[in-house]
Amino acid sequence: MKKDLSIEFLGVRCENPFFLSSSPVVNNAEQISKALDAGWGGIFYKTVGIKGMDECSPRFDTLTDGSQQWNGFKNMEQISEMSLEQNVEEIKKLKKKYPNKVIGVSIMGSTEEEWIKITEAVTAAGADMLELNFSCPQMTSHAMGSDVGQNPDLVRQYTKAVVDHTHLPVVAKMTPNITKMTVPAIAAAEGGAHGISAINTMKSIANIDLDNITGKPVVNGKSSISGYSGNAVKPIALRFITEMNQCEDLQTVQFSGIGGIETWQDALEFILLGCRNVQVTTSVMQYGYRIVEDMISGLSHFMDERGIDSLNELVGIATKNIIPAEELDRSFQIIPTINESKCVGCGRCYISCFDGSHQAIEWDYENRKPIILEDHCVGCHLCLNVCPVQDCITPGEVVFKDGRRNNRSGEDVVKQLAYV
Amino acid sequence: MTRTSVLEYEPTKIEAYDFRRAMEEASRCLLCEDAPCSKGCPAKTDPGKFIRSIRLKNVNGAAETIRENNILGASCALICPQEKLCEKECSRTGIDRPIQIGKLQQFAMEHERALDKTYLSKKDTYTGKRVACIGSGPASLACAADLAKEGVEVTIFEEHQKIGGMLRYTIPPFRLPDSVLDQDISQLEKLGVKFELNHRVTPAELKYLQQEYDQVFVGAGTWQPKKLPIPGADLPGVVLALDFLAQAKENHKEMAPLGDVVIIGGGDVGMDCAATSKLLGATSIYNVFLESLEGAPAVQSEKDFVFKLGISLISEFKPVEFIGNGKVEKVKFQHITNESTILLKCDTVILAVGQKMSEDTCSLKESEHIFIGGDMANGGNTAVQAIGEGRIAAAKIMESFK
Repeated sequence: MKKDLSIEFLGVRCENPFFLSSSPVVNNAEQISKALDAGWGGIFYKTVGIKGMDECSPRFDTLTDGSQQWNGFKNMEQISEMSLEQNVEEIKKLKKKYPNKVIGVSIMGSTEEEWIKITEAVTAAGADMLELNFSCPQMTSHAMGSDVGQNPDLVRQYTKAVVDHTHLPVVAKMTPNITKMTVPAIAAAEGGAHGISAINTMKSIANIDLDNITGKPVVNGKSSISGYSGNAVKPIALRFITEMNQCEDLQTVQFSGIGGIETWQDALEFILLGCRNVQVTTSVMQYGYRIVEDMISGLSHFMDERGIDSLNELVGIATKNIIPAEELDRSFQIIPTINESKCVGCGRCYISCFDGSHQAIEWDYENRKPIILEDHCVGCHLCLNVCPVQDCITPGEVVFKDGRRNNRSGEDVVKQLAYV
Repeated sequence: MTRTSVLEYEPTKIEAYDFRRAMEEASRCLLCEDAPCSKGCPAKTDPGKFIRSIRLKNVNGAAETIRENNILGASCALICPQEKLCEKECSRTGIDRPIQIGKLQQFAMEHERALDKTYLSKKDTYTGKRVACIGSGPASLACAADLAKEGVEVTIFEEHQKIGGMLRYTIPPFRLPDSVLDQDISQLEKLGVKFELNHRVTPAELKYLQQEYDQVFVGAGTWQPKKLPIPGADLPGVVLALDFLAQAKENHKEMAPLGDVVIIGGGDVGMDCAATSKLLGATSIYNVFLESLEGAPAVQSEKDFVFKLGISLISEFKPVEFIGNGKVEKVKFQHITNESTILLKCDTVILAVGQKMSEDTCSLKESEHIFIGGDMANGGNTAVQAIGEGRIAAAKIMESFK
């Protein structure tokens, strides 16, 4: 199953919304060719600077639950290891070979002059759009990366300098290492940015090496704070995207979503919250470019099942359903039900309800069965989240709080849970 | 035929989980309330607790729990019929398949070995009390460990040259390497337990020991093999399972070629004899027993193992005659219900039809000053059952000190 997943982003037609983000997965033309052949709609070429970087070894670390699945990933790489001139050659080669793929290029300077120089060189090389890297958290210069992204005046100034020197669409890439992303995002828009991409990596220390008593990765006995990515940061990315998409001053910019995308579902979540483009790195570092096959196939099947013909129909439709906490309907409790024939008698619901909630599940030690005490149950659904058996504990009866029924039936509430 | 993991009689290494595989398996554990696996262990090794420790990256804690509860923790990890005990009770079975508890236990014990850890320490609750344990099998060792931890001075009397009883002399090295049993025994030595080897305690000496020691525990096992009352049973070439297994362990490189082997008996010992014969190069092997295939008392994993080694299992036939001139040459079997007969050519017949107590021990009864456990008490069961009984006896002995 392969549907038409094409979508326009900043006036550029993309064959699908799946892009690779500026990172080690898009270092050079040869490497990127394999990615584009695998089906990625486009890329943001690894950030081009004036000079190549001097990198440390080792430079990665992972957070796992003990299995091979990475929950989070920490990296210490900076921008491209190649010079501006070398990268320009690679971009030219790439654009010549793939005229129909979208070659975005991430760039970064440390002064206005540098930003302009790189902009002109990359524009001339044939790039389709520019992404301004205001967000790498592990640069060895404080005039670059997330230190710039945290300063709205510099963001505005550098964006304007770039926009004034190129005809290409410009995306400003935001750092999550900030309380309100809307502030630098508005500054970028004021500087003329057409799009915002978010998030870059979170500043982190993922693990402490207990033998060396320092962070990981250990570089000659020391370590540094650096960027954290992977599935663990997806919730944070979705939050920033939503806040920006709901911000009145950002209604004219388009969004590219980044942060822990591994599956078509992750990508769709970003699209539903307002992104016309999504970018991926960490899961590609773990599984390779081929994961795009299942993104394309999975999203196609989803659209087919829901009778959706164009991705445009999905962009941002979930945004309106994210509302302030004070506006949530707090008039009812949904009491869970336990399917006794599915219950394997582990007692995890009992433990979690007693230790972590409202002591609303009794444990029958003789028969190894949980019993829900409806009088105590507040409908928090911790039990449902901890149960290891699929569909064993499910939402059950809707109970309205005293005097708050307002002529509604339980079904009226449950209906709101369903996909519209 | 599927390749099996064990293809040598005396492998240099038994396959074990590494940290990552152990974490993956521990992540499957449902971490039950009032864990049923823990209730399924006769020795009270408490897998529910030690798997939770592994899941929470506390491998030391896991090994410590195992050690505190089961002085033969490393050996049990390899030889326990988990499928009949802890794993049989596992809640995860309701979803797919049980947690591999034995493999996780082996992982924790391997951690202890690799880091040369000592988790047990001596208290002085019963300093000055002295207990003699007769036999050095699982029951005695478990009894001795629980007593020694509370400060009791324990001496173990063993008639053989080495410590460990049946585990040492009959379980083949591809199931339980000596090094693993030694790892367990070294914990007892660290607790100060004394061993009197090559020392057979006669009934007369037992009376003497009762005066010398505050209490006596007897776990002398069932070492007297049962024989078959059929013609030709005394022919050369007809050997007893325990003798065969012991001889293989002692000196397998110098054993005469086994030739065509017929094993009689469908229990775990019979399966061990079959696998041992295969790994020692027997020409052909038939394992024949009275029971149906599913009814044969060996655990399924042992039957699977023997099957994977390519050994023929013949169910529901009983031997009626050993035939031969000066040595056994053929065995005649008859079906247990119909007229079918089989005549198997053989050079070696191994009888694995059970053991009983030796004559001087079978009259012993538990009393105020004699405690009994292990195969002697239960008629022949698992090592972990013997450990449980040894621990119960230790608790009774300590109760008598109050």
